[in-house]
Amino acid sequence: MSEDKDIKRDDPMIAAEYALGLLEGEELLNARGKVATDADFAWRKEWWDNWFAPLTDEVAGMEPSAELWSRIAAEVNGAEATGSENSGAEVIDLTSRLRRWQWTAGITSAAAAVMLAVMVFAPGSGPLSSPSPTDTPQIAAADPLVAQVPIGDTGLRLDVTYIPESERMLVGAIGLTADGVHDHELWLVPADGSALQSLGVVAPGEVTAMELPADIARNLGSGVNLVLTREPIGGKPEGQDAGPVVAEGAFSQV
Amino acid sequence: MADARQSTAAADMARERLREAMVRLADGDSAALEEIYDATRVKLFGICFRILGDQKEAEDALQDVYINLWQRADRYDPSRASPISWLATFARNRAVDRLRTGKVRGGAVPVEEANPLPDQAPLADSLLVDAENAAQIHTCIATLDENTRSHIRSAFFEGYTYAQLAEAADVPLGTMKSWIRRGLQKLRTCLEASEAS
Repeated sequence: MSEDKDIKRDDPMIAAEYALGLLEGEELLNARGKVATDADFAWRKEWWDNWFAPLTDEVAGMEPSAELWSRIAAEVNGAEATGSENSGAEVIDLTSRLRRWQWTAGITSAAAAVMLAVMVFAPGSGPLSSPSPTDTPQIAAADPLVAQVPIGDTGLRLDVTYIPESERMLVGAIGLTADGVHDHELWLVPADGSALQSLGVVAPGEVTAMELPADIARNLGSGVNLVLTREPIGGKPEGQDAGPVVAEGAFSQV
Repeated sequence: MADARQSTAAADMARERLREAMVRLADGDSAALEEIYDATRVKLFGICFRILGDQKEAEDALQDVYINLWQRADRYDPSRASPISWLATFARNRAVDRLRTGKVRGGAVPVEEANPLPDQAPLADSLLVDAENAAQIHTCIATLDENTRSHIRSAFFEGYTYAQLAEAADVPLGTMKSWIRRGLQKLRTCLEASEAS
């Protein structure tokens, strides 16, 4: 049985598929892009989210460990929330995180100021007090990040632009053509050594806009690497290793 | 009658308090995060655990949810969604993302393995649920045939894609897509009809 012709796969349908998480590969990439660029589609996706949300009501509530809140508070309040004996490690952790957070859109100025204050005041200054957010310098957070991923010796390249304020990324693959046998999938290489994160299958000859999920946006920063792998059509099959790396590049700040 | 009205009032108040806390958080008041955590952790942790099936993974996911919320509270639009619906969706999506990035083996535990809360445990968040919306989606889902219903539920709770659902059911991908799309179309018609009335 093939896909029915009588079912119209219109935008509201695609929004439902995206909201449920049914899509993969290029379709997923397209849907992400559409949320970022098409207000009607974004509205419809939220419409589905709101309707699906009550399905979670049937899940039994559970109490997380008592110490979970202190872990969260520690991350939010910085070293202040942890004992002074281990604040050193915490500060290093926060400093590296701050570097990444500078690139993400969501950082409110107050939050940025607190984080920066932790970084500035922390080293060797003993127990940390709450610094006033007003006496901290500005962070230039919103400059776009760009990466060029040259494809072999072809002279062709991918142009990847990330705009922190919007959490949107543009992937330009102008000049590339599909070979009909392979797709190419773009991956972010998180600086912390954790697993590669898929940025989706590249659409040859197009510039694609997509909204990045927060767990990917968080890993973006200057110097962060991208790799392009060759995959079967549709992208890396679930449960299999990624294909060979055919190109790579790194982000730098404009 | 009086009881029903009272509990509705309590629910309205609980929702309103949460909405206010979300707005304050978006305005940069990080103290509001603890209020949100207190009111929602039991529900959101239940969701993370249901999807990830592992205590530690679920706690990491939950931590992720609140940290992200703190960073991006301004993404919540009070005019579009009830705060608990929005947070539940957020937690569900983060847990599914985590499942897919391969940090856990995947596949949720059967429901009976999950430890439900004892009766005396805090259930403040049950007040937050919008009972009308909940009833409507369940009514509409009940109109689907059992097969389609279970696949849509697997997508939602197990984070299965079309390809995974087709493989699990041992049917061609196109068949699975047809089943689900027909179900989604029916669901949309039913939900839109309820909105119009």
